[in-house]
Formats: sequence, C-alpha cells, structure tokens
Amino acid sequence: MVIVERLQELLQAPLFGTSITFGNLLWLVVILALSVIIARVTVTNLRRALEHKMSKNELEILLKVIYFTIVILGVVIALPNIIADLSGLLVAGGILGIIIGFASQSVVSNFVSGLFLMVEQPVKIGDNVNVGDISGNVEDISVLSTTVKTYDGVYVRIPNEKVFNSEITNYWANVARRFDYVVGIRYQDDAEKAIGIIKTVLKGHPFVLKKPSPTLYVEELGDNGVNINVKVWSPAKVWWDVKIELLWKIKVALEAEGIEIPFPQRTIWFPEALRVDTRSGETNGKEQ
Amino acid sequence: MFGRHDYSFQYSNDQITFGLQPDGECHRYFREMKGGKRIEKNVVSQRGKIVVCPVEPVNLPEPVATNMEIEFDPLFMEPFSKKTIFLTFPVEIGVFVVAKKAIKALDIFSFVPQKYSLYGPSNGGAIARWAYSPIYEEIPGVNPLECGVIKLTVHNTTKEWVEVSCALFDAFSMKLYYSSELVSMTAVMRILSSKTAETEFFKEAVVEGMKKSIEFYLGRDIPVVKHNGLMEWGLV
Repeated sequence: MVIVERLQELLQAPLFGTSITFGNLLWLVVILALSVIIARVTVTNLRRALEHKMSKNELEILLKVIYFTIVILGVVIALPNIIADLSGLLVAGGILGIIIGFASQSVVSNFVSGLFLMVEQPVKIGDNVNVGDISGNVEDISVLSTTVKTYDGVYVRIPNEKVFNSEITNYWANVARRFDYVVGIRYQDDAEKAIGIIKTVLKGHPFVLKKPSPTLYVEELGDNGVNINVKVWSPAKVWWDVKIELLWKIKVALEAEGIEIPFPQRTIWFPEALRVDTRSGETNGKEQ
Repeated sequence: MFGRHDYSFQYSNDQITFGLQPDGECHRYFREMKGGKRIEKNVVSQRGKIVVCPVEPVNLPEPVATNMEIEFDPLFMEPFSKKTIFLTFPVEIGVFVVAKKAIKALDIFSFVPQKYSLYGPSNGGAIARWAYSPIYEEIPGVNPLECGVIKLTVHNTTKEWVEVSCALFDAFSMKLYYSSELVSMTAVMRILSSKTAETEFFKEAVVEGMKKSIEFYLGRDIPVVKHNGLMEWGLV
C-alpha cells in the first residue's frame, strides 16, 4: 500500500514548477513510443506486402507518409497530457527558440528542399544520376537528404538543399537514349560494305531499338582512314551494357569480312631516291 | 512440352533439353539450348509440380519493358468500322515450380530472337518488345513453341477514316492460352481518335479447350488497377 501511495505521489508530482506531472510525462512517452512501434510494424508489413506491386520510389514515399502520419497522430493523442500553463517557460522558450531557429536554418532548408524534391521528382529511387560532381544510383530520398551509391560502391549522403540547387542529370528519366561510335576503316576498304556489316550487327542485338532506327554514315575522310559514325538508340536502363558489348562485336564483324581499323600512318616523299647501305648498318649494329 | 508435370519431367528435341533430375533429397533443374550454355538450378523440394506454359513475351534477354508492339501492314478503317484479324507474336516459355500452394518461376526461355522498340518519344513514350506480323484472316499455322496468335478486333469508334499499322499491348493485362498446337490471346483495339487507341485482352481462348497460362505479370501490380494498353503516340 505504501509503495502504491508513493508511486501515486510521484506520478502526481508537478514538474519544473508547472502543472505537468510526472504521470503526464510518462503517458506522453508511452504514447509516443507506442505510435513509433505501431508505425514501424505497419511500414514493415506494408513493405513486405507491396514491394512487388509498386515501384520502389512510389512505395518508399507511401511508406514515409504512412509512418509520419501514425507518429503525428501519436503526438496529437499524447499532447493533451502536457497541455498546461507554460507561461513560466515562455521567456526561456523564446530565447531557446531563437537559438534553435539559427541552428536549424539548414535543417529547415533541407526539409523544404526535400519536400519539393518529392513533389517535383527530378530523381527517383533507383535512378542513374549525376548531382553536381557526384554520379551513381539513388538509394534513398528522405526529407533531409538524398543517398547516392556511386558506381564504385561508395555511400554518399547529399543534403537535399544541395540536390535541389545543383544541376541534375538523370540518365533514366527518359526511357531511351542515344549513344554513338566513330568507327574508322582503311581508305582501300569499301565504306558501303562496312556500313552493311555494322547494320547487320546492330539488327541482331535485341536492345538496339528498331525505332528510332540506328543511323550510320561516313562522317569524315580522316588523316588515317574513313570515319563512319554510328548512332544507336537503346533502352536507358541498359544503354551502357549495350554500348560496351556492341563496339567489340562491330570490330570482330568488320575484321571477319577483311575490313580493318587503320593505324595512324604518314606518307613521306623524298625528292631523291634513298640509298640504303645495309652492310654499314650491320657493321653499326655490331659495333653497338 | 506445355502443361503440368511431375518432378520427373524431362523434355528434349533438336533445339533444347530441359527438365528435372533427382539430386539427393532434392531436385536439380537443367536446361541446355542448342549452341547455348547449360543452366542448372537446385530445387529444394521433394514433391511438387512443374508447369511449362507460355508467358508474357517481355522478359528476355532481361526485363526492360512491360509492353509489346506488333507492327502489321496498314489497315485503312472507315468510320465506325470493325475488323477481326489474326496476328502472330513471339512466344516466351516459362517454367514454374509449384508446391504447397506456392508458385515460383524457375526459368524463362525462347526459341526466337528478341527485338525492342520505342513507342512514342523518348520522354513519355514506352519501350516495347517489337515484332512484325502479316495480317491473317484466319488462324495461321505456326509453331506454338515460337509463335502465338492474337485474335485482334480493330474497332474504329471515330467518325473519321483512320490508318492503323501497329498495336501496343500491356503485359499486365495479357491473357495467354495454350494447347499442344497453339498459343493464343484475344484482344480488342478501340481507336479513340486518329492518334489514340486502347487495347484490352479478354479471358477467352481463340480455340475451345485451350488451357490458361500462368499470369507472370499479374502479381506485380495492384490488382484493382485496370491495365489496358494505351496508345497515345499514334497508330502507325
């Protein structure tokens, strides 16, 4: 009985000279903790149920909205427990507010930028992007920062304000993209035949798009050979794989038909015929 | 080849050898195509079924699209006209393992080369598995392991003449049926304007007695959302 009375006294004891009791504070903590637990359980189960039914980006945004809705609901339910006359804390609170305001300037800026990024969606989770001087795949977009995994596997956290103000290149925003090669052949090779061979290689690759069709033309009569320009459209998600795979196939196909890639060469004309003394050359060689 | 089989299933012809073989207490799936590498997968299951059936042809060589575009010779449709034609499409074959009411895709392969295309502009258009088909007035004789047949009703709902030479289909709404002689789908293409149309599949086999394929793309999206193919970037 004594313990219960002590406990009741403790729970009803006012804190910091306000009408808020220890019991109120305990309820606040319990309700907030419960709301966080419920939010996490809900989000985990929803993620499991929906991960194959929605795009990753949409799913992550939905889960974040659900998570914060439940937590905010918990705060709303918990708040009446600490509603009290807080006038005693106003002065201290005001000063604290100014300090926090200055300190959290960048936090607020990142938060607002994060909201704009979620609405505008210049990048989505999984996209292949360049943000400023950082290149890689977007791993996560949270309210304060965007996480990018660079091509060499390094984790980079970029504050949303920086993402919002940076120049963004999104390689996956459009479903298809074009890349090109310059293929050089020797002057004695038949350029039309070479174009035909390259066209056959392109036709045989599933991800060289039928429409827009590839464009091939003689671009330049170069110093060392004839340069053929090859422009290819491919699905944006696989363009890099296609690009590195095709170049070698083109080279192999051309060589199989006797068409070779020219080496740098220079023709030198002498006004008089050169006399080569092979014997003295051999002698010099021996002396060396 | 198509159908529901025991774990003792093995199939072989001049192009492919595949099936399951016992491996201790489990099984081993194998597949070897002519001129290709042998694929093996361990199946940790003692009793179950293997289902071999055609699947939505947008998975190979790797999934980059959820649409299929079939190009055909131009049709000039008079206002409010309707025409039923038969087109062919490439077949992809799925091998599924079924045990304890759960199903899992083990393998997908095809005997025909793949080609993809861009329908519409690169910003806003769609990547689609591409195929050309002649127009047939009746079901064409094709090898069911390579080509399927779509019974397509083209319906011009506009009061204008319209030229049509392609149809875009959404893999999420495809309803494939199969038998030992034929793989089929039944669809309608409603022309809404000279530039737009929608395509929809029906749960209906072209020939009676055909079995329905497993819908590989059904579980990947929210079931309440209706997936019709929308062609908003032209019909030619």
